Amino acid sequence: MIKNVEKMYSLTSPIVFVKTFKVTLNNDAVIYVPLDPANTDYQAIQEWIAAGNEVIDNGA
Amino acid sequence: MAITRIGNIANTIPDNSIANSKLTDIVNFKNIIINGDMSIAQRGTSATGLGDGDIGYHTCDRWRFQELGTPTYEFTQTQSTDVPSGQGFATSLKMDCTTADASLSASDAVTIRQKIEGQNLQYIKKGTANAESLTCSFWVKSNKTGTYIIQIRDNDNSRQISKSYTIDSASTWEKKTITFAGDTTGTLDNDNNASLFFDFWLGAGTDYTSGTLATSWEASALNTNTAVGQVNIADSTANDWFVTGVQLEIGSAASDFEFLPVDVNLQRCLRYYEKLYSLTTAPADGATNYTFGGAAGEASWTCFTTNNIGSGTKFKVEKRTTPTITLFRGTATVTAGLPAYYNDSDAWAVVTSPTITVNDSLGFFIRSAVTATRGRSYLFEGGWTASAEL
Repeated sequence: MIKNVEKMYSLTSPIVFVKTFKVTLNNDAVIYVPLDPANTDYQAIQEWIAAGNEVIDNGA
Repeated sequence: MAITRIGNIANTIPDNSIANSKLTDIVNFKNIIINGDMSIAQRGTSATGLGDGDIGYHTCDRWRFQELGTPTYEFTQTQSTDVPSGQGFATSLKMDCTTADASLSASDAVTIRQKIEGQNLQYIKKGTANAESLTCSFWVKSNKTGTYIIQIRDNDNSRQISKSYTIDSASTWEKKTITFAGDTTGTLDNDNNASLFFDFWLGAGTDYTSGTLATSWEASALNTNTAVGQVNIADSTANDWFVTGVQLEIGSAASDFEFLPVDVNLQRCLRYYEKLYSLTTAPADGATNYTFGGAAGEASWTCFTTNNIGSGTKFKVEKRTTPTITLFRGTATVTAGLPAYYNDSDAWAVVTSPTITVNDSLGFFIRSAVTATRGRSYLFEGGWTASAEL
């Protein structure tokens, strides 16, 4: 059960999206999910977004 | 599967010396199921309170707890040492009902599932005129006698077939063999995604039981035909159910279970799940099996630019796809889910707000902004898991 999803960016220049999402679950556990359509956790993120939720994007 | 020639052996073995041997029993990797003997349990040997919202992998590798609907039952899942006597098995998977739901809602159900990659199934020739039958064999035990369902679902083409078996004697290990006809409709994708679902049903509401059991392949939109007759193992906290020796192979007859060496079995499981812990240690914050000279040694930190440290890790086995990473603390710090480094002040410090880059199936990179000196290496403490499960 997903609580929130945040895009992860590199820490040093150039600041870019590292194609990984920090996902906090309802039990507050954190997992790091790659942008990979074959990853089942990424598929769950897509379903979570389709249900009307938004990914946190703090930008580059 | 016929063996036509094995190197030059055919020239050195006397005529008829192997004519009566069971060649099918020496063919390796005939079992489509991974970890059918339940011998690998990387995540731990027991998980409690499994119910609504707990779909996933908890104990025995590759075996997924699958709940449907919004059930109120709860189970404890265990890698058990209760096994059929004299059959060579050391472990089984046990489901123990701890909170009963004697009257499942229509959409509620519970199964134990293994998902199988399409690229490992091309030889069953599904969707062709030469589609192979599949035979499943397994050992099962439950105090609750009656009818149980096994379902195979074609996830690529939304098709299904179900067969029933009967537990005849309470709390007695029984061997069951079930053959599923080949399906000439619907080819399986040749890729790394889940093409077949193999399910042991343990309970099902009327959404899955009110039709006619789909003993021939049919469109799986007909859920009512999926689990007709299934008993409800969740109807009493006195109930438990054990299974081991699960084998699914082509053909219409079951052969002896294919025991694999533990290292081989583990290698197969590592394609889907890996951890920075020993095989018998469950990943968790504060787990202590690794040492600076052991597993953690490969994950030391490097300060690649001032006040930024990073650590790259290469997996032991390439994953099915780019995996999900979970981090754990070690013993020197107390912040859950965050590893530590041994800093310039000779003290362990939490690596706060790490960034994980996991862009392929071979490994991942973790980095963090901390106080550190460029060019130095630092000790790593913590753990991780990588999951590429189906």
